[in-house]
Parts: sequence; C-alpha cells; structure tokens
Amino acid sequence: MKITEEIKISDNGFVFNSKTGDSFNVNPFGLELLKYIAEDKDFDSIKDEILGKYDVDSLTLEKDFYEFCALLKHHQIVAQGDPMEFK
Amino acid sequence: MPKQKITLAVTGLNNTDNPGPGVPVIRGAKESEGLEIRVIGLVYENLEPGIYMDGLCDRIFQIPYPSSGSEELIERIEEIHKQEKIDVLIPNFDAELFSFMKNEQRLSDQGVHTFLPSLKQFQEREKDKLPEFGEKYGVKVPASINLGSISQISDMEGKFDYPVMIKGQFYDAYQVNNEEQVKQAFFKISAKWGLPVIVQEFVKGTEVNVIALGDGKGNTIAAVPMRKQYITDKGKAWGGVTLADEKMMGLTRMIIRKTKWKGGMELELIKNSSGEYYLIEINPRIPAWVYLAVGAGQNIPEALIKLALGQDVKPMEAYEIGKMFVRYSYDMIVDLEKFAAISMNKEI
Repeated sequence: MKITEEIKISDNGFVFNSKTGDSFNVNPFGLELLKYIAEDKDFDSIKDEILGKYDVDSLTLEKDFYEFCALLKHHQIVAQGDPMEFK
Repeated sequence: MPKQKITLAVTGLNNTDNPGPGVPVIRGAKESEGLEIRVIGLVYENLEPGIYMDGLCDRIFQIPYPSSGSEELIERIEEIHKQEKIDVLIPNFDAELFSFMKNEQRLSDQGVHTFLPSLKQFQEREKDKLPEFGEKYGVKVPASINLGSISQISDMEGKFDYPVMIKGQFYDAYQVNNEEQVKQAFFKISAKWGLPVIVQEFVKGTEVNVIALGDGKGNTIAAVPMRKQYITDKGKAWGGVTLADEKMMGLTRMIIRKTKWKGGMELELIKNSSGEYYLIEINPRIPAWVYLAVGAGQNIPEALIKLALGQDVKPMEAYEIGKMFVRYSYDMIVDLEKFAAISMNKEI
C-alpha cells in the first residue's frame, strides 16, 4: 500500500489530492498513521510502534487500522498493489 | 526594455453571479511584464460592474447587442476605433463571437487585431454537433440527440436511461428524470434559446475543466486544469483549485493539435468512476475563471494579446498545482454621474 504521488500531506493534517482536487482533514493520530504508511512501514512495525505508545489492545488497533486503510483507498489517497497486503 | 504600449478593448465586464470574463482578462493583461495596457471597456448594459471599478478601464463605451445585427455592432466598434485606436480586441461572450469572427479581416485591415477560432472550428464544437466532434477527433462524448420539436421526444425511447440532461444550444441545462420533465425543460429552453434542444446522456462523475490557449497551428500555448470547489445555483464556479492531471492535459493537447484550435477555450469534462473523461462542452473563448490560470503562473490574456499582434509566444508548461481561487461579492458605492454618463452618452 502506497500513498499515491499526487497526494500532498501538510504537517497540520490537511491532505490534498492534486489529481482530483479533493481535500481531507485527518486528526493527529491519522496523520501519524499516514506518516508510517509514507515511510513504507509494514503493518507489524506500525503495530509495534502504536502498541508501545498508546493504551490500545492489538485487536482494536488492527480493526481501526484496516478501517482507516479502507477509507484511504476509497478516497484514492493510497493505491494498493497487492490486494492481500495488510491481510 | 520599455513596455510595449497597447490599447486593448474587452467585452464581458458583467462581474455578476453569472460573470463574464472581461474583468479577469483585464487584470491578467495589466499584470503583463512586457505590455503597458490601456483598456477600453465595451459594455452592453449600463450596470455592468466593470464600468464602476476604479482603475480597471481607461474608457468605457456601450455597444449594441449582437442580436441587433452584426453590421451595427461592427460599425460601433469602428467608430470607437477611430477615437481610441484599438490594437487588440478580446470578445468574451459566446453570442458576439460569430459577429467578430465573421468580421475578423475587416477589423484587422483597420488595425484591430483579434485571435479567435475560425468559423469552422467554432461551428463544429457546437453543442448539437458534439457526437460528430467526438467521432472526428477521437474524444469520448455523451450520447445525444437534437430535438427540433416536442413530438421528437419519442425519439428518445430506448436510447436513454433517466436521468438525462436537457440543454439549450447556447446556455442552460436541466437534469430531468422523466418524460414530463423533459417536456417542461424543452419548453423552457426552446422559448429562451431557440431550437434545437439537446438531450444528452447523463454521465455520472466529477466535473473538471481546462482553460487553454491554442496558437492556430496545433500548439498548446497554455493549459491549466481546474476542479470547481463551490458552484452557484447557476452552475458557475465560485471557487476552484488547479489540478495535476496529465490525462486531462494530454486530452487538451490532443484536441488543440487535431483541431488546430486558435484562441482561448474552456473544455468542460466529466471524469467518471473508471477515470474516463467525457467531453461535455467546449466554450470557444476564455472562461470567467481565467485569473486562476494567471495566479497559477500562466498569463493567458497576455499570451493571447501577443498572439493577436503576431508575436511569437512560447508554450507555457508549468503552473502551480493546488492554487485556488475564491470569488466574492462586494458593494461599490458609486456616484450617479458615471451611471448618467453611460446611460446618456453611451461612453465614459
């Protein structure tokens, strides 16, 4: 899963798709997740980072993360090469 | 290097909720680094806001509507030219373009230069000829039929699924969901804009637009794609953002190359969910949102003036992506004298 090249992400969480003109706001945690994805981290290392930093159980994190990823895909913020990725 | 002094005549100073492109064209022209522009505003109505904007026009003249006849309009331009020595004229209304295109040579012989599409280019992109245009130039367009009378509504049967778009040949469009609504839209549009009325397949997707300038030899001198972010109830952009979309740019360059388009244009496109672009309209002139292109780095009015003067203009390829425009309305307090002068003397 890669953030598409037309996506511009500001430090304040403003996400702009320069190809479609769509814009989105993400909260600080969403921004953090986007940064991990942009750094090409796989889910296991993202999970380790988050579990070490926040009071959340692994199952909830996994569920919320996939939900977030589905939203990113829906809004063409990320492109998914392999459909089995993150599964 | 001293700036070249140019007298520019511009129509379309109606910066209303259905804005003409005149005011942004003048703003762009005045920002030219190489040209010193003296502006002659040409207006049809005495309440066009551009008349009252300080520092916009050096002189203002009222001109007759093209509907009163090409000859009357052109004679008025010649009369103004005798006083003001117009170098370049940029007409900004669809309805007046025909008169100016037809009289291009006559005006040019007197030193009034324009840079307009040819009559052939103008006519083949007309809304009622869009399917032929699409086929000829290999562009996807929505299916459409032309209705010359109300009885032809039966021709739609089996060809379209609702909703469909009902459009006037010059202006107006309604999305309709059944035959009764088709009839209502037909009467509304035909009463205002004449026949034919166009029935067009409804393409679901996002509307995107490109402003472009062709040099008449197949080269794209300027092109900036935009998505409307805020649309008025008249369907006009009240806010928009420039896009980075190579597919749209490629399509624009292809259309200009194949048609050898001369002058300003606006492509209206629908991008469907599969990422395909459907051309729904070509406006054969600079659109009212031209100042976004100027702000993004492509001064289209300046380039058009230079092309009209026969100067060499290099294609502009770069523009800022994610640049936005937001329109606003503003109450000007003006003295009655200006209104009286344009009403009584037809000039200021």
